[in-house]
Amino acid sequence: MKKNLIIPVMGAVVLAACVIFYLNQTTDKNNKQEEISNLVFETPDFYNNELIDEKAMGEFYVVNFFASWCKPCLAEHPLLMEMKKQGIKIIGVNFRDDEENFKEWIKEHGNPFEHILRDDGTIAYEMGLIGVPETYFIVNKIIQKKIQGPLFYEDIEQYL
Amino acid sequence: MKISNNIYKLIITILIIHMSTISFAGVNELSDYYKTIRCLVCEGQSIQESDTEFAINLKEQIQKKYSSGMTVNEIDAELVKIYGEEISFNPQKNHYLLWGTPLIILFIIFIFIRNKIKFFKKT
Repeated sequence: MKKNLIIPVMGAVVLAACVIFYLNQTTDKNNKQEEISNLVFETPDFYNNELIDEKAMGEFYVVNFFASWCKPCLAEHPLLMEMKKQGIKIIGVNFRDDEENFKEWIKEHGNPFEHILRDDGTIAYEMGLIGVPETYFIVNKIIQKKIQGPLFYEDIEQYL
Repeated sequence: MKISNNIYKLIITILIIHMSTISFAGVNELSDYYKTIRCLVCEGQSIQESDTEFAINLKEQIQKKYSSGMTVNEIDAELVKIYGEEISFNPQKNHYLLWGTPLIILFIIFIFIRNKIKFFKKT
């Protein structure tokens, strides 16, 4: 090889190695199957003050974080009601909300949830919530899909 | 008597300053740490600056964990595990290739220029 080509070739080889190395890297988050937080089953239901029976929820269910102060939560509410009609079990987690406001919101708009948990932010933290509304589709305790923002029909039609 | 009084006052003053630094050490450490955590709602801001519910909740959760005895490093590791590397403004330390590649390229360019200069000097 000509002497004056050695350094450019060396540089190209180093760059190519770096590109190949990074393209082959996958993050832990992509490979790891995340489980739903145990706090969901360690927090009592707001209405009956009992812990949720994991087995009674079945293999497939949905966890939806919402709040009465959250407008997009209201926008997706009809879809949640539709899901309830179709027999899909939804655990509602009321995120950092005033109790009276939350009760009023449920009374006014209807309750699509099988169970409702009141959360001061701890469950949200464990689940990696970014903001409400946020919906998790769970199969055998594993989070299959996470929707940030309001649900749209396309997000749920496969489950209907 | 005056000297011993002054010494007594000096000791008390030092003790008070020392105790005040102890009580604020935790707050300062957390406050500095919040500045390294990205708000995932307003991604240009840290959770220290952001007033989103996400940032407020995260600060509260971190405060709880810190008060329960977790170190900042342990809390940081947990946050990265839950939210991913993007939660931290400080990149993970094992990106040696990422940080080293510009240096490698600079070194190669330096060798290249040095060889060129040597060549021109010879001619």
